[in-house]
Amino acid sequence: MGTVLWVQPLGAPARPQGQRPAREANAQGRAFYFTRAEYTSYGRRRFGSWAVDFPKADRQFLIGLRHLTNIDAYELENPVRLDDPDLRRFPFLYALEVGYMSLTEPEVAGLRDYLLAGGFLVIDDFWGTRQWANFEAEMRRVLPEYDIVDIPVDHALLSAFYHIDEILQVPGRGGGVNGRPTWQYDGYVPALRGIFDQHGRLMVVINWNTDLGDAWEWAEDPWYPLQFSNFAYQLGINMILYGMSH
Amino acid sequence: MFEGLFQFLFKYRPVVFERGELAFDAPWPIALVLLAGAAAALPAVVIYTRPQARLRTPDRALLAGLRLAVLGILVFCLARPMLVIATVVPQQNFLGILIDDSRSMQIADEGEQPRSEFIHETFGPEGSELVAALGDRFKLRFFRFSETVQRLGDVGELTFTGRRTDLARALDAARRELAAVPLAGLVLITDGADNADAPLTEILLQLAAGRVPVHTVGLGAQRFAKDIALERVATPRTVLQGSSVAVDLTVAHSGFGGETVRLTVEDAGRIVSAQDVRLPGEGETAPVRVHFTANEVGPRLFRFRAAAQPGEAVSQNNVLEALVFVDSGERKILYFEGEPRFEVKFVRRAIADDENLRVVVLQRTAENKFYRIGVDDPSELAGGFPKVREELFRYDGLILGSVEASFFTHDQLGMITEFVGQRGGGLLALGGRHAFARGGYAGTPLAEALPIVLDSDASSDGGSFFAEVKVGLTPYGRGHPVTQLAEDVESSEARWKELPELSMLNPLREVKPGASTLLTGRAADLSDPLVVLAHQRYGRGRAMAFPVQDSWLWQMHADIPVDDMTHETFWRQLLRWLVSGVTDRVAVTSSLDRVERGAPVTITAEVSDSGYIRLNGAEVVANVTTPGGLEREVPMEWTVERDGEYRASFLAEEDGLYEVRVQAQQAGVPLGSAESYVQAGDLQTEYFDAEMRASLLERIADETGGRFYTPATIGTLPEDVSFTESGTTVHEERDLWDMPVLFLMLVGLIAAEWGYRRQRGLA
Repeated sequence: MGTVLWVQPLGAPARPQGQRPAREANAQGRAFYFTRAEYTSYGRRRFGSWAVDFPKADRQFLIGLRHLTNIDAYELENPVRLDDPDLRRFPFLYALEVGYMSLTEPEVAGLRDYLLAGGFLVIDDFWGTRQWANFEAEMRRVLPEYDIVDIPVDHALLSAFYHIDEILQVPGRGGGVNGRPTWQYDGYVPALRGIFDQHGRLMVVINWNTDLGDAWEWAEDPWYPLQFSNFAYQLGINMILYGMSH
Repeated sequence: MFEGLFQFLFKYRPVVFERGELAFDAPWPIALVLLAGAAAALPAVVIYTRPQARLRTPDRALLAGLRLAVLGILVFCLARPMLVIATVVPQQNFLGILIDDSRSMQIADEGEQPRSEFIHETFGPEGSELVAALGDRFKLRFFRFSETVQRLGDVGELTFTGRRTDLARALDAARRELAAVPLAGLVLITDGADNADAPLTEILLQLAAGRVPVHTVGLGAQRFAKDIALERVATPRTVLQGSSVAVDLTVAHSGFGGETVRLTVEDAGRIVSAQDVRLPGEGETAPVRVHFTANEVGPRLFRFRAAAQPGEAVSQNNVLEALVFVDSGERKILYFEGEPRFEVKFVRRAIADDENLRVVVLQRTAENKFYRIGVDDPSELAGGFPKVREELFRYDGLILGSVEASFFTHDQLGMITEFVGQRGGGLLALGGRHAFARGGYAGTPLAEALPIVLDSDASSDGGSFFAEVKVGLTPYGRGHPVTQLAEDVESSEARWKELPELSMLNPLREVKPGASTLLTGRAADLSDPLVVLAHQRYGRGRAMAFPVQDSWLWQMHADIPVDDMTHETFWRQLLRWLVSGVTDRVAVTSSLDRVERGAPVTITAEVSDSGYIRLNGAEVVANVTTPGGLEREVPMEWTVERDGEYRASFLAEEDGLYEVRVQAQQAGVPLGSAESYVQAGDLQTEYFDAEMRASLLERIADETGGRFYTPATIGTLPEDVSFTESGTTVHEERDLWDMPVLFLMLVGLIAAEWGYRRQRGLA
């Protein structure tokens, strides 16, 4: 798990609806904004779970994304509340620490509309069966008619830019070095799962028992294992390019 | 009235003066008459030229003139003027009477009686003064004509059921039939509603050269008091299944100005569209665009019908039909995107359920790295954007996203232009940071094909232009099939007003002279609207510009309901229209989609090689399947006029649908095949443009030396026909010296002289 940089009160929305960080002048008309979902959470006494690793992970990942692809991506973070109508202006959405997610009804409605309209959600950084159960329960509220299924390794998602033939468990900072485990809680095996709509279109990609965000955030740290940060960038880029074309 | 007055004053009808020649037959030598006249005039001249105190010079001149005029008339009469006119010898000449036997003669446009009633009354068994008068002078030969011409023994044989009126053929047949006998002329009794498309000039010249006057008798009203007619229907020959079809109709009327009529479209008896049309003022036609969806596959005969109104002269002209081939085939479109953009995802999503469209995506994701989606096999587009014609021309359409011109070689840019111009493919250029002038396309070969003017200065703004525009329809776009977002035009227009703003990076303001703009965009800080959607025909294909970069907002924006289909509808219609007219290497068209039974059908095929270079040496055969299922092979010949064009004809002798399948091969190697369809049957042609055409009938009479009559004026026909130079004739002399007008002039001149002298105190 990473560092929380953006503080919000327990169980409360991050900001009142409609108030968004002022964008820089060059932010207009860009092809891609790395949009982070602001959502209501519980169980974290002091911090909102949506803002874990924020904004360093976002910015650092965007540097890699812009360097490795020709995507016209806005250079800075772009957090948007799930109940903000503006959410639908950003068809790619990243959410993490969903093991603590506790969505309000407006957020459920906002996320549901977002996904059914064509939005693409990537879930990251939650571990173990308890957090899974919480996330699964929350997603049932959002998309009760769709099941969560495994994404096979031959899925087009894994070859959209890089060819990935194995799902690695990406540890949080400090994990995976000097004999430390890569897992947390009982999340020993990483999983790549998804939710498909009735047409077979992938709406949600779920990275469980893995922490891509930490790998992005600490990619420049010489102590962070290169193989995991490489993998995290590769999978992250694949998810974005797939989400922008499928 | 005029003619009666003329005859009272001049003793004879105008036709006698038209046909006769003036001559003099004085009982004395003409010199003696002139000398006597001069002698009588001399005293008057001498008296009036001598100066007299009581007469001023103008008085003398006027009185001398009056006196000389009186003497002149007397001298004219003494010279015994006369008209010499050729008239037929009774019963020595033939007169051909041609009677229109077509359906339009059943129209009752003047009173309750059909036009044919005049025929029955005049030429029926009871007889008439006209026939008696003609019979006294001529040997009469009757003909009936419509699309054919036959000798007519009895008027009772007329059925008035002919499907067409061919005046040229009728006149020619009668002329040939009566060529061996002394022919005084032809009488053409018809409404003049010729619909054979046969030129009249040649036969009229022949008749004029043979001095055979054609007297025309026009039946019917020159303008219906009350009628509604569908005059024209313009449909695409081929559409993709499920496409929205826009059809332009012209509704003409008389007597229904300001009223509303129901216009329906039927497909095999099922109404697929209906709308109310408000008719314009008298003498104006209403252009109407109707929309419907073509769902049934194959050749479909669509019927357009304006509901019949009470009191209409003709109800059959309220219906028009058009044959449209609804294609279930798949059109393949290459979407080349220069960078990852959400347009790719949402365009693919919009047409995902469209079985007639398939979009293959080639997306550049990094320098020299491409992501292919939807390819048929691993080799397709493996080398990136196509480098040879064969590779590119396998697609029906091409979408160019945000990709700079410098990515392409000069040859590739030329090849894309040829893809549109020669292959006939559809090109759609999208907006973006590397598109249009911003992408360096100004001055490239591709700029020629695009419908917009690329201002090279636009790229010098540092790429900073950004505008969020509210998209709106132009008057042209209002009725275009691409921009129809709802069932009717009004609902569609309302929907456009609700759509959220889109962003643009390409400030395009001007379209080329032959291009059309469907959508424009307005922004608060821009004085002029920007071009949002425009198209033009370039060579054989279509080129479109859609310089926005996030049309996906019409799907994703919070104002758009999740289940809204606007984005899908727009993109499907846009891409279907873009590629709907794209043909394969072998393409075939027929001269007409509907013909009358028995009419010839010309089929034209275009044959190309894999690079869409036209081939002249191919073996091309048309297999024509008749409605009865018989198959006939018709070889097609190269026309020589155009490369790759082959032509053949056949007669559509049965009612029903003819299928024409053209197959081409070269040196035994198949090049491809294509189909076309022709519907033969009763086109009800006689009921369209069925008003009496007086101008045409007057022209026929004028050019051959005849006269034009109506039933009201036909009484003088027998005498008029008698004055002819053709046939066996004699020359009659008709005195003019006793014309009342001369007597009246004499009295008038003398009275004027007396009155003037009295007024001047000379009497």
